[in-house]
Amino acid sequence: MPKSDSLGTDQKVKRSVARTLGNGLIVLIVLGVLGFWASLGLYTLEPGQAAILLQFGRHKGTVGVDGLHWTWPPPIVTRRVVNVGELRNEDFGVVGGARRAEVEAAGEAERAADVNEATMQTSDNNIVHVSFAVQYRISDPYKALYRVAELSSMVRSAAAAAMRQVAGRMTVDAVLREERAALTADAATLLQDVLDSYEAGIEVQSVELQDVQPPDEVRAAFDDVVAANQDANRAVNEAEGYRNEVLPRARAEATELRESALGYRDATIAEAKGEAGRFTALVAEYAKAPEVTRQRLYLETMEEVLPEVEKVIIEPGSTPVLPYLPLGRAGRVSQ
Amino acid sequence: MRRLLLLLLVLGALFVGAVSAANLGIPPLVITREGEQKLILQLGQFRRVTQPGLSVMIPFIEEARRYDSRWLYNSTEARDIQTKDGEQLRIDNYTVWRIQDAQAFLEGFPAGPAAAEQRIDRVVRDAVREVIGRHTLSEVLKDQRVAIMKAITEKSRNTLADEGIEVADVRINRTELPANAESSVYARMVTERERLARKNRAGGEERARAIRAEADREARVIVAKARRDAELTRGEGDAESTRIYAEAYQQDPEFYAFRRSLEAYRKTIDGNTTLVLPPDSEFFRFLKNLK
Repeated sequence: MPKSDSLGTDQKVKRSVARTLGNGLIVLIVLGVLGFWASLGLYTLEPGQAAILLQFGRHKGTVGVDGLHWTWPPPIVTRRVVNVGELRNEDFGVVGGARRAEVEAAGEAERAADVNEATMQTSDNNIVHVSFAVQYRISDPYKALYRVAELSSMVRSAAAAAMRQVAGRMTVDAVLREERAALTADAATLLQDVLDSYEAGIEVQSVELQDVQPPDEVRAAFDDVVAANQDANRAVNEAEGYRNEVLPRARAEATELRESALGYRDATIAEAKGEAGRFTALVAEYAKAPEVTRQRLYLETMEEVLPEVEKVIIEPGSTPVLPYLPLGRAGRVSQ
Repeated sequence: MRRLLLLLLVLGALFVGAVSAANLGIPPLVITREGEQKLILQLGQFRRVTQPGLSVMIPFIEEARRYDSRWLYNSTEARDIQTKDGEQLRIDNYTVWRIQDAQAFLEGFPAGPAAAEQRIDRVVRDAVREVIGRHTLSEVLKDQRVAIMKAITEKSRNTLADEGIEVADVRINRTELPANAESSVYARMVTERERLARKNRAGGEERARAIRAEADREARVIVAKARRDAELTRGEGDAESTRIYAEAYQQDPEFYAFRRSLEAYRKTIDGNTTLVLPPDSEFFRFLKNLK
């Protein structure tokens, strides 16, 4: 018995050690499994990413902060990571668009479809090609994933329809030139409203016009209108040039006229003053000896005048000489 | 302690197993994800519709059918439609819809969503045809577009509401004139542009000529005013000098006349002049007496 007792005690100890060890092992394994499972709930988010958490398929929350996160691991909670920061782009119309190379490689039918996509009708029943691009990003990932299907098709169709609707309210001249800013702004607003009504969870960043052109069939006529505008401007510029030439010239002439009149006036007055002064001085002296002065002046003048002159001296009433006067000598000479 | 742990472990494994099975569509658990709804049928009979999350169904007796609960997009091919005034328009549109009442949807379309899409296509097409047919071409293209889209949406929505379908929006995308009408539009566009070009050119000429005429007028006025001023100035000079002369000559008018006459002789008598002089003239007074 004691032997068996001692053996029994020994075995008991062994058994209890084994049991403790076994218990510990099971605890360790269980903890290990649990720990491993729990670690599956760890995930990291980069900037611009958001995680949608679905608990047994049901939306439990959206995590939008970048960094390390933990949530209950699958299959309790499943995660879906969405790139919300990414700017997405849709191009419409081949003319000058970013998809040009792609579409041109695709062949005739595809190209025609793409041109069609950009063909719009304006309110004055003209046809224009408006190629444009829409930039958008996902603002609400839950809505974008679980409220709408075929998101990009929806955005594409809604954008094309919005642009058509806005262009359809405008005249062709407004679309081509005057109100391009309003066209894009209105289209962006309308597109945003429409997408909001579909709960698409999308924020329209911008609508940009790539190229707005009249159709090839009528482009020459449109170009001619532009040329006509330039012609008109040129005519006006030329006229302005003419005006700029004529007016200074007229002013110059006016100045000349005024100045020469001033000159005339001042000169005349000066002359008059001179002559009057001379006369006044002369008169003073003349008054002292009028007879003599008179004689002297007369004779001096005669002396000066007569040498040049042909003189005929006739005694009045004496001889009846033939009163032949060689008048108009100059005339004779020239004969 | 050990048993408790084992029990926990077994329960946990069972739960994980059941949820994993549910993910593969095996009952008794049913997982409904966001964006979908599940229709539970008991031996083909409608029982209930699940919401997103975990629900339960009885294996073998009940079955689940998955339907989308999101807004779906369905675009319709372009087709010719006649307006009230007899014009043909090529119109394409798209429809945004969802399964709103899964039970009615199942009854209406046991074959599935593809049949529903065909049905929607047909309903929307009829609505487009009817509403467009009530409007003229210019109304469709211009002012009534929004109202027309609303009317089409309304009509399609009412028709399809009984079939478990909710129509959110029917939107007209392209409204094109048929190819033969297009050429007449181009012709009209060209004549319109020609008119504009002519108007622009003529307008330019009008402005240019106005500017030239105005410039000419201004120039003339400037010169004429200067002339007027010049004449006035000259007059001033003349008046002043006359006054000065008169004042001076007034001192002895007779002497002035004498002197001025002498000056005039000096100026007018030259080599071409023949003077007939009587010997008793003043000049010869002494000549005679000396004889």
